[in-house]
Amino acid sequence: MSPHPRTAAEVDRLDPARALLAGGTDLLVRRRAGHQGGPLADVSRLRDAPAPVRRLSDGSIWLSALAPLSVIDRELGGKLPGLRAAIACFASGQIRNRATLGGNLANASPAADGVPPLVVAGAVLRLRGPAGRREIPVTEFATGPGRTRLAPGEWIENIDVPPQPAHAGFRKIAGRRALAISIVSLAWTWDRGPGGALTGVRLAAGAVAPVVVRCPGAEAALEGRAPTPDVVAAAVAALGHDISPISDLRASAGYRRAALAGALTEALTPALTEAPARRNT
Amino acid sequence: MKVNGVPVTPPDPDARLLDYLRDDLGLIGAKEGCGMGECGSCTVLMDGVPVCSCLVLVCQAEDADVTTVEGLRRTALQEAFVTGQAVQCGFCIAGMVVSASALLAEHPDPTDEQIRAGLEGNLCRCTGYGAIVRAVREAAR
Repeated sequence: MSPHPRTAAEVDRLDPARALLAGGTDLLVRRRAGHQGGPLADVSRLRDAPAPVRRLSDGSIWLSALAPLSVIDRELGGKLPGLRAAIACFASGQIRNRATLGGNLANASPAADGVPPLVVAGAVLRLRGPAGRREIPVTEFATGPGRTRLAPGEWIENIDVPPQPAHAGFRKIAGRRALAISIVSLAWTWDRGPGGALTGVRLAAGAVAPVVVRCPGAEAALEGRAPTPDVVAAAVAALGHDISPISDLRASAGYRRAALAGALTEALTPALTEAPARRNT
Repeated sequence: MKVNGVPVTPPDPDARLLDYLRDDLGLIGAKEGCGMGECGSCTVLMDGVPVCSCLVLVCQAEDADVTTVEGLRRTALQEAFVTGQAVQCGFCIAGMVVSASALLAEHPDPTDEQIRAGLEGNLCRCTGYGAIVRAVREAAR
């Protein structure tokens, strides 16, 4: 597997045919199964790797694509609660001590738990490679299961997260609490405006389309409205048109639709009880 | 790399850490259950945190302090597993003990919820986990 790059610039100069090994929690499983048998380059120990979490003065946060999820989680403190909730239900402690956001993004699984919180956060990925550096919104990064816009030799160095609304969360529904792939997942962010109205609503769902998707119909049904039961019902109905789930070994398409509707209802329930409209009922 | 405090020089940087520990060093406490990071039988500490040694290549642990179940001091934790009959076939137990030692280092007086969360990456097909959780709780006393 040698040579092992020890600086980011050395990674840029690697033969593009080499697969980059970060946490290895997916790559080494695929390798063991006989896939991805080509040469690897370990990027888990770069001397000039970015800090796991860097808080900028404008309120944005840069996340390292190469840091283990458990380190990101610890260093975030109270920030990015949606991402922290996703990390909390990500595989197991052993996996979180190795797996990285960069790997989770680059694998481009529609069920990747790290991705929906980054999608609702409007994160931007900072890529670099033999042709230099560029930025790409996380919403444009994955093009299908296992497919991304990474050019040969290109890799993710940082994930930039702009300042966030007050409310954020993540809900995963899976066969068990640990070490399970999401049947569906939902991430959300919003603020509360005058009269309890939801503003800046963003929803992203995992495992209900070929890539993690925003849910524009459900977002529009909620935007600017106080979340009454009728508003929630309208958002849930609209959500059904935002997604295109399939039936597979984990669940049927119908189950996925019902589970995601339940996740959205659950996400809105705390907002519902706070809403002025609710107090009069 | 240090393994249980002893400096070592692995011959094959591309080998899995699990294979190096077992086949080259004869440290057979860590077991290969699934080989996919799902069962936790191969859990070791790498710089103090639990990892699945089946999913780490030797070159990735080049500068690391690795602790296997053999390197843990015989403690109240192991005693509690034995006296609490928390072991049946035993295949998972080395991983359980390593994970539990990391849990107790972080939470010396864990709640049952913290114990179950700390052992979420370790599967046991015999005990039903009740005796294992009780053993960890007992060890914390």
